Amino acid sequence: MTQAEAKNVNVWYDSFQALKDISMTFEPNTVTALIGPSGCGKSTFLRLFNRMNDLIPLFRVEGLVTVNGQNVYSKDIRLDEMRKKVGMVFQKPNPFPKSIFENVAYGLRVNGISNRKEIEETVERSLKQAALWDEVKDSLKKSAMELSGGQQQRLCIARALAVQPKLILMDEPASALDPISTNRIEELIFELKKDYTIIIVTHNLQQAGRISDATAFFYLGELVEFNLTKKIFLNPDNERTQNYITGRFG
Amino acid sequence: MNTKQLKQRIAFSIFGTMSFIVVAILVIILGFIVIRGMSAISWEFLTEMPKDGMTKGGIFPAIVGTGCLVLGSMVFAFPIGVLSGIYINEYLTESWLKKFLRMMTNNLAGVPSIVFGLFGMALFVNYLSFGDSIIAGSMTLGLLALPVVIRLTEEALKTVDDNLRLGSYALGATKIQTIQKVVIPIAFPNIMTGLILSIGRVSGETAPILFTVAAYFLPRLPHSLSDQVMALPYHLYVLATSGTNMEESRPMAYGTALVLVSIVLIINVSASLLRRRIQKKVKMN
Amino acid sequence: MTVIDNNIQQIRTDLVQMWTLVINQMEKARLALINGDKNLAREVRMNEKRVDAFELKLDMDSENVLMLKNPVAIDLRFILSVLKINYNLERIGDYANAIAKVAEHANGPMPEDILQPTHLPEMFFTAQSMLQESLYAFEKSDRNHVNVLFGMDEKLDKPNNNANVIISQLIKEKPDDTMLILEALSIMRKLERTGDHILNVAEELIFYFDAIVIKHSKIHKNQ
Repeated sequence: MTQAEAKNVNVWYDSFQALKDISMTFEPNTVTALIGPSGCGKSTFLRLFNRMNDLIPLFRVEGLVTVNGQNVYSKDIRLDEMRKKVGMVFQKPNPFPKSIFENVAYGLRVNGISNRKEIEETVERSLKQAALWDEVKDSLKKSAMELSGGQQQRLCIARALAVQPKLILMDEPASALDPISTNRIEELIFELKKDYTIIIVTHNLQQAGRISDATAFFYLGELVEFNLTKKIFLNPDNERTQNYITGRFG
Repeated sequence: MNTKQLKQRIAFSIFGTMSFIVVAILVIILGFIVIRGMSAISWEFLTEMPKDGMTKGGIFPAIVGTGCLVLGSMVFAFPIGVLSGIYINEYLTESWLKKFLRMMTNNLAGVPSIVFGLFGMALFVNYLSFGDSIIAGSMTLGLLALPVVIRLTEEALKTVDDNLRLGSYALGATKIQTIQKVVIPIAFPNIMTGLILSIGRVSGETAPILFTVAAYFLPRLPHSLSDQVMALPYHLYVLATSGTNMEESRPMAYGTALVLVSIVLIINVSASLLRRRIQKKVKMN
Repeated sequence: MTVIDNNIQQIRTDLVQMWTLVINQMEKARLALINGDKNLAREVRMNEKRVDAFELKLDMDSENVLMLKNPVAIDLRFILSVLKINYNLERIGDYANAIAKVAEHANGPMPEDILQPTHLPEMFFTAQSMLQESLYAFEKSDRNHVNVLFGMDEKLDKPNNNANVIISQLIKEKPDDTMLILEALSIMRKLERTGDHILNVAEELIFYFDAIVIKHSKIHKNQ
C-alpha cells in the first residue's frame, strides 16, 4: 500500500501555474527527498499533503492527492482531522512560546484529549522518539524558547509525532542549524523511517543523498525525475537533473 | 579631522540637539505644571468636593468622574476593538474588504475629537435619549478610542510569527483554537499595552465629553450610569476659562493639570511595566 | 564553468597525457626489443619515473575532488573511473618498463626465429592498438570503441594460452637460447596482462559513460 500519492496534480496561484501534472507515489517507511532550485514548486508540492497551501490567496489545485488512500482535497473532509494525520516540520524551528511539555501536548489538547495521564505518556514517548527526552526530562516546565536551535527543531519533531501521524512532511528542517545539530536531525530522520513515511524538501544535496531512499527533482513546476537516490546521484536519467546536481545549472 | 568626519559630527550634533529639544520641551511643561500646581496639591485637594465657586476645596468628583468615564469607555471599546482587530488581521485575507476596513479605521482615527462629541450628543444623548450621562460620555469616548484599539490590536497580532500559526494548523488545530491558544497569548502583552495607551489618550480628552456628560459644577459623586459627572480635563478647562473667580482658581487649575498629567504618566509607565511582566510570563507559560 | 569543472578538466588533461606517455613507452619498448636499441630502452626506463609521477598526481587530484567538491553523477563516475584507469595505466607502464629492461640487457635485437613462433609482433600490435582505441574511446566518449576492445583482447589470449607448448618446443629446438626464449615468454605474459588491464580500463569507461557495472560479468568471462 502506498502511504501517499499525487496523481496528475496541477497547481495554480492565480494565473501562475506552480505545478504541472505531477504524479508520484510514496511508499511506507521511506524517506523521499524533494530537490530543485528555489521556486521550482517543491515546497508547494510538499504542502499539498496537509493542505497548507489553502491559506495562500488564489491557490487552486486539480488532480488527486491522497494520504492513506483518502482524498485530501475531498469536499467532505475535515481539515483539522486530516492535518492531524500528517505531521509537519518547518524550515525555521517554530516552537510555541510555551513550556516544553505544553509544546508537545498542544496537538493532543487541540484534538480534544484531556486525560492527564495519557498526555504525560504521549509527551514522554514523543520526546524519546525525537531523541530529546534525555536532554529535557528534568526541565519540562522550562520555556521552549530557552532551548538551542537544534533542540527546538527536535522539539518541533516531537510535537508533530505526538498526534501520531503516518506521514511527516519536512520543509528544509536543518537549513537553519549548525552541522552537529543537522547531523542529529539526520540521524533522527533515519530512525523515524522505521515507523513513519517522510517527505523532505532540502536544498542540501548531500543531505538528500545521506538520508533519502528516493529523490525527486523539480524544475519550473515540473517533476523532471523521480528515482532511487542512488540512481539520481550516480547516473540520473535526465540531463537537467545531472546539470542541477553537479552544479552546472543554466 | 577630515571633512567626512566633520560632516558626520555636524549631522550627529543636529540630530542630537533635535531629540534633546523634544525632551527639554517635555521637561519644561512638566516642570512648569509641577511648580505652579504643587502648592495646590494636598490630601484635601484630592479627596474633597470643590467649594466656594471652585476656588477652594478639592477635585475629588472630577477624579472619580474621569475614572468612571475611562472605565466605561474601555468596557465599550475593548471588546469591539479587540474583536474587530482579530477579525481584520486573522480572518480577512488581503482583499478589498480588508483594505476598506483599514481605510475606514484610519479615517475614524483622523476625525477631530469635537466631531465625536457632536456625534455622541446627537446619537446617545438625544436620539437614544440617554441624556447627559456617564453612559453617553463613555460610549462617545469609546468611539474615539476604537480606531486606536483596533490598530494596536492589529499591530500586535501582526508581530506574531506566521510560522507559529502554520505550526498550530499542522497539528490539527482549528483557526479559532490557533487564535485562542497561540496567537492571542503571544500578542497579549502588546494588545494590553495598546489598551492602556488608549486609556491614557481617552482620559485627557475634553471635547467628546463636553456635550455628552461633563458637568460644569457638581459637587457630589455619581449614583448611576445616567448621572452626569465632572471630569478632570473639562474641569481644568472650566477653571482656566470660565470660573467664577479666575484669579482665585488659577492654582486650582494648575493642581488639576498636575493630577491629570500624573494620571496619564502613571498609566503609560504602568503600561510598559505590565508589558514586560506579561511578556516574561507568556514565555514561561 | 563551475569550480569542479576546472579540477576535472585538469585531471582529464593529465590523464590523456599519461595515457599518451604509456602508449609511447610501449612503442619504444617494442622498438628497443626488436631493434636491440639500448639507448631507446634506457629512455623508456627513464620515462618510467614520469609515469609514476602522473599516477601520484592523478591520485592526489582525484582524492582532493572527492574530499572537497562532493562530486555526484557524471563527476563522481568520472573521478571513480579515473582512479582505477590511472592504476591500470601505471601497471601497463610497468610492463613497458620491464620489456625495456629486457632490451637493455640483451645482446642485440630479439631474433626473428623467436619472435615469429611466439607471435610477439602480433601481440605487441594488438596490445598497442587496444591502448590507442581505449584512449580514443575516452577522449570521444565513444561507447562503440569500448566494445571493440573486448573482441581484440581475444587475440592476445590465444597465443598466450598456447605459450607453454610454443616455448617448450622452442627450447628443445634451440637449447642455447633458453634464457632468451624465457624472456620472450615473460614478455608474452606481460602483453597478455596488458590486455587484461586495458579491459579493466574499458570496464571503467563503461561505468563512466553509463554507470553500468560489468565487472566479472559475462562479457569479461568469454575469453
